[in-house]
Amino acid sequence: MNSVFEILRDNWLLLLVGQYPNGPLGGIACTLILSVLGIVLAFPLSVLLALARLSHWRLLNWPAGALVYIVRGVPLLMVILWVYFLVPLLIGRNVTGFVTMLCTLVIYEGAYLAEVVRAGIEALPKGQMEAARSLGHSHLGAMRLVILPQALFNMLPSMLSQFVSTIKETTLGYVINVPELTFAANQINNQLLTKPFQVFFILAVIYYVLCWSLTRAATALERRIEAKRAGPRATVAEIRAAGLVQPVAAEP
Amino acid sequence: MKGFDIMAILLNAEFGKMLLEGVRMTLIIALGSWLLAMTLAVVLLVVRLTPSRIAERVVTAYISYHQNVPTLVQLMLWYFGISSLMPEAVQGWLGEHNGEAVYAVIGLGLCQAAYFSEDLRSGLRSIAPGQAEAARALGHSYVGAMRHVLMPQAVRNALPALVNHSVSLFKNSSLAMAIGVAELTHAVKEVESLSFRTFEAYLLATVMYLVVSLLIMFAGAWLARRAAIVGAR
Amino acid sequence: MIVFSNVNKWYGHYQALADINAEVRKGEVVVVCGPSGSGKSTLIRTVNRLEEIKSGELLFEGQNVHAPMSSTELNRLRSRIGFVFQSFNLFPHLSALDNVMLSPMHVAGVKRGDARDKAMQLLDRVGLAAKAMSYPAQLSGGQQQRVAIARALAMEPPAMLFDEPTSALDPEMVGEVLAVMRSLAKDGMTMMCVTHEMGFAREVADRVWFMDAGRILESAEPETFFRNPQHPRAQRFLSDLRSH
Repeated sequence: MNSVFEILRDNWLLLLVGQYPNGPLGGIACTLILSVLGIVLAFPLSVLLALARLSHWRLLNWPAGALVYIVRGVPLLMVILWVYFLVPLLIGRNVTGFVTMLCTLVIYEGAYLAEVVRAGIEALPKGQMEAARSLGHSHLGAMRLVILPQALFNMLPSMLSQFVSTIKETTLGYVINVPELTFAANQINNQLLTKPFQVFFILAVIYYVLCWSLTRAATALERRIEAKRAGPRATVAEIRAAGLVQPVAAEP
Repeated sequence: MKGFDIMAILLNAEFGKMLLEGVRMTLIIALGSWLLAMTLAVVLLVVRLTPSRIAERVVTAYISYHQNVPTLVQLMLWYFGISSLMPEAVQGWLGEHNGEAVYAVIGLGLCQAAYFSEDLRSGLRSIAPGQAEAARALGHSYVGAMRHVLMPQAVRNALPALVNHSVSLFKNSSLAMAIGVAELTHAVKEVESLSFRTFEAYLLATVMYLVVSLLIMFAGAWLARRAAIVGAR
Repeated sequence: MIVFSNVNKWYGHYQALADINAEVRKGEVVVVCGPSGSGKSTLIRTVNRLEEIKSGELLFEGQNVHAPMSSTELNRLRSRIGFVFQSFNLFPHLSALDNVMLSPMHVAGVKRGDARDKAMQLLDRVGLAAKAMSYPAQLSGGQQQRVAIARALAMEPPAMLFDEPTSALDPEMVGEVLAVMRSLAKDGMTMMCVTHEMGFAREVADRVWFMDAGRILESAEPETFFRNPQHPRAQRFLSDLRSH
């Protein structure tokens, strides 16, 4: 147990920000920035993909569907390898591991989020779209003003848990030398060599605390959204006050 | 860049062999960890259903750990961390008998068991409460009710989630590459570095992964259709 | 056969059953009626211990239902009491025949062939021999409830409990279920029924228990009860019923 605290004390800066300022930003900071950027950029892509999948035009529907199925059927590691290979070809120069990882996350999360958004839209009562169209809105207008705002609000807990998934996915950046948290931990391990269990134990705990708190937040958020949707309900005191329950004999 | 020539890989004996080995390793890991995960998931479920509060806390902690720590980190903890704590004899034996693959199967299996267990639990919870009552009213024991009435329905309810998580498990086999297992992704990288035919190699691997993923999904859909409760809407 | 002695049940401040003292004799048909929330369902569910009691004693065939006992003993006891639910609760993944056969085979240890024969007989008795291979989702409500009755009868219980067996049915299907219950009564089955079907009560019941707020307020023969209810709440209940 002591060795765990020692390692933490000696290496907390490396775990937190990597080699910065003597190198690129790494560690937890890199992980978080990568995850946040990843999901923020994936979000508009996912909305577009979801709308394409819901559209009746085969020209939109099929390619979007194909993209989603392919990305979901291929391991993240393969997607990383593809992006690592294709991006320099497409833009004519080399890119850092960070950028590669970011592009990968945007594509991968975009496909998964697209399904979340699609589910959210389909879960709304049909009457919403019908009402909007009857008022004269175009399909896209109705989507923008009526459907998406509601769907996205309802899907917030799911999106939060996709964010947690994104954080877990950043660990694969290790394979292409992105200096995120897992990479930093491996660096520490390669230096120390004698305490691998302690190092990886610390790594697991950090991720656990991070992901668990976010998951808790998502669950709490979900409960609040459910409560809002259920509407106000009378409390027991109010029911009794209204005289709807007969007072009974005291407990023997 | 040379012209697209997939045959250069497929026909080359050495590359073909590497890829085939990779596929074999991937399938072994995927199957091994799936079996481990399913068995453990049932055990976890049974333990969780006992009235003991400690049992519930232990299972909840297990599931929480495996769902919140990234799979890659779990594998690293097993392969680099826990292996170093093993007695010398075990370490030696594992070193000679493909230790990386063993740890990969254990790590992946234990991780997915958490997800499968939650799927089964959701399946159980989505059964109408009257079912358990009816079984009890007829005099079935707890085990009997589970066996004949509740688990058949729970598994049917949980099937879509179980299939999805099975596909995830299969894809996660690629993570084993990070701890040195010579599965498909690893093989593809080797072939690519030797043949310089990056695009063709990647394409082959992608197609192979896709085919198996789609197979699992179709098998799941077929199973769901066959086992579907007759007449249910 | 079923004896309630000073049975009480409460949750916190709410008294679900209060000082129940009553008896269902062998071969008797008792109908329990009363307004919603009067405790009728709770009462009938205490008989096979789907609900617990807080004080008092409930005897079935002389055995104390709520005494501490092993689960094996409780299961054996329950297999001797047939229970028919308001929501049928047929097992959706099994055919009608399998539903009826399941418990004799796995609870009573009856051999498959014998269980199957008995099950077909019972399905025939409730008029559904032709539907033996159908699954619950393919059957109407009335048919499902009749299969449920056959399923309960398959265990050869000396008594049958019915918890609002027709309340979840469309009106045109109520008759077929009541017909089965009537024929059971005629064959001498001991029955306790919670029901709103007053016509059935008048025709078939030996006694009617009127409940309100967890108490049995009146217990009388059907003709007496329906023509001349004593308790004011019973009078109000019957007049409300008639005004439909």
